Amino acid sequence: MDFVTSLFPWITNGPLIVVQVMSGLSVAMFLFLVSVGMSLIFGVTRIVNLAHGSFYMVGAYLMVTLAEMLPDHPLAFWLALLVAPLGVGLLGGVIEVTLLRRIYHREPLLQLILTFGLILVIGTLVLLVWGPDNKSVARPEALAGSVKILGQPFPSYYLLVLALAPIVAVGLWVIFYRTRWGMLIRAATVDREMLGALGVDVATLYTQVFVFGSLLAGFGGALSAPTVAVALGMDGDVLTTAFVVVVIGGLGSFAGSFVSALLVGELQSFGILVFPAVSIVLLFAIMAVVLIVRPWGLLGHPEE
Amino acid sequence: MRPGSRSTLAIVVVSVLMGMLPPLDQAAAQPKPIRIGEINSYSGVATVYTFPYREGLALATKEINDAGGVLGRPLEFIHRDDKLKPDEAVKAARELVLQDKVDFLAGCISSSVGLAISAYAKDAKVLYFATHCQTSRLTWDDGHRYIAHTTNNVNQYVRVAAKKAASLPIKKWANISPDYEYGHNMWEEFSTYLKKLKPDVEFVQLNWPKLGESDHSSYITALLQSGAEGLFSSVWGAQSIAFVKQARPFGLFEKMRYLAPSVGNPDELDPLGKEAPIGAIATPFAWYDPGLNKLHPKLAGWAKKYTEWAKERGLKDPQPKLGGSWGYASAYIIAEAIKRAKSTDTDKVIGALSEGFEMDFPWGKVVMRGCDQQALPPQWIGVVKMDAQGKPIAADIEETPGREVARSCDEVKELRAAAAAKQKK
Repeated sequence: MDFVTSLFPWITNGPLIVVQVMSGLSVAMFLFLVSVGMSLIFGVTRIVNLAHGSFYMVGAYLMVTLAEMLPDHPLAFWLALLVAPLGVGLLGGVIEVTLLRRIYHREPLLQLILTFGLILVIGTLVLLVWGPDNKSVARPEALAGSVKILGQPFPSYYLLVLALAPIVAVGLWVIFYRTRWGMLIRAATVDREMLGALGVDVATLYTQVFVFGSLLAGFGGALSAPTVAVALGMDGDVLTTAFVVVVIGGLGSFAGSFVSALLVGELQSFGILVFPAVSIVLLFAIMAVVLIVRPWGLLGHPEE
Repeated sequence: MRPGSRSTLAIVVVSVLMGMLPPLDQAAAQPKPIRIGEINSYSGVATVYTFPYREGLALATKEINDAGGVLGRPLEFIHRDDKLKPDEAVKAARELVLQDKVDFLAGCISSSVGLAISAYAKDAKVLYFATHCQTSRLTWDDGHRYIAHTTNNVNQYVRVAAKKAASLPIKKWANISPDYEYGHNMWEEFSTYLKKLKPDVEFVQLNWPKLGESDHSSYITALLQSGAEGLFSSVWGAQSIAFVKQARPFGLFEKMRYLAPSVGNPDELDPLGKEAPIGAIATPFAWYDPGLNKLHPKLAGWAKKYTEWAKERGLKDPQPKLGGSWGYASAYIIAEAIKRAKSTDTDKVIGALSEGFEMDFPWGKVVMRGCDQQALPPQWIGVVKMDAQGKPIAADIEETPGREVARSCDEVKELRAAAAAKQKK
């Protein structure tokens, strides 16, 4: 035991471990929110949407604009949190109908090039509309401070995130497993052609899924906005992390994204405590291990 | 109209629009401009710094040209976007030298871009003025006669920060710095100089998040348990804002003194607003500071002039920035070097630079040191406070002349010798 405590002096400090677990959880919940939409879109349309991070960024920038436009009212933040994702969903819809729809049957390389092009276009448009300066969104007054957890301060805004992400997860589960639309989506991930042959309007379903996935990305961006700087380049950072989480969890599996986000969040959290120097590779090390053991991800299915 | 003539017309219209044809009435009268190929990152993440920089450069160029130019010729900067990539930058440099026949090269915000242009300049024997990037390797370890650095390097402001840190009753320092060349360079300079000044300091919990990391919660909780009394941070820009916003509610800044060179600048303080880290030590360009204005009576006038210029040119945030002052100083230093050489001949201008010179700017004296062609401007350190209107500012600014802290010419010689020996191996 002495050896263990000398190596990990924090191990006897219960409250700190609790806070470390909770900070890992909040990291995990953000990861889940930004990656689940990407996984969903891939599951149905088979498109790896590289512009997912751009949708996240637009969600955050819309929060900035809404926060400036709306009057200073306690409810303004919540209204913005509702409207910003809808705006991103709309953007996703326009892009799906005008661009993506044309390339579903083309080779994957073209799809990658198109969504990569979208990153550049959206990035430049954001620069033109919002300018190069870093922006920030204030936390709502009630969640600006911190609460004491076993005597350690913990940001109250993260409690909101810890509450909202599971609600989103449960909501998604209900949609997928308890509604007709969810059933169609699940069917589409298994066999699109058969679904079309059975008379389902697959094109419309694709649009709906893409809008929904973009909306989730926008929600992730809007919810993260008060905890980060809203700035150019936030698209790329999120894209990498979201992509890794989706790959670990299994492309197309939303439960997989959840489990994978939890795993990555906590491992990263404790990895930093133990080996701060290597924390940067942890994410990718986890991905490598998972890919070796289960190339299709934790909860994904092997492709036929 | 025949179809052919229509396309000819189109080409003419396009070339006029693109500014490729000089206005006919002026072309004959003007003397040939001195042309400087300026390569910097004008799209994407770095524009928050490079747009103000470019306006500072443009303002100084206009002033120089209105006053008759350099050697009777106007100064002209030709801008190219490096997209933050060293290979793009070298490609642009080659084009500027071979096709556009520029007299000199200038630019860079990313250190790796600066080093790449510098290597090209050395090969092509073109004089390159590094204007915006900050690694000390440019003129020191990897220095040569074809590079001059017109702004301060990492070493100067980190040493000022380390001096301040040594004066505080703090023994245990932790670190959070982005995991790339600049972040490691910063921590290395800080920790070695601090250890030299105060041998009993200890370093604990060294965090290396990736550059651009957006969620630092786990680093923050790890820092909380580290027992550190001081935290050195070289995260900058959007990442710095995110870190501060995340660390504050965890009570990190109550637990340890925050020292972050970049956090005192308006690029970070303005978005942070009420969430700014009060009491943090920073090395900002606080053009509004009353003490600094007393020291430099011309500063207020320059700030006003720059703001009006930036507003006119459509910058969304026209207030003076560090980048703006750097662009402004760079144009004047380049002009001065040419003036002293009485020629645009590369060897003659290098000759003028290697003799060294001093220039007075609205913010104080800048020494262009001859031995390494490195600028040694005044260095500032201050504390983040709230002003009467509840806006975060950097206050209590102390000034140190750059030449008092920077490595000496002899030390630079040693660095260059060590780097050369390493390369031979």
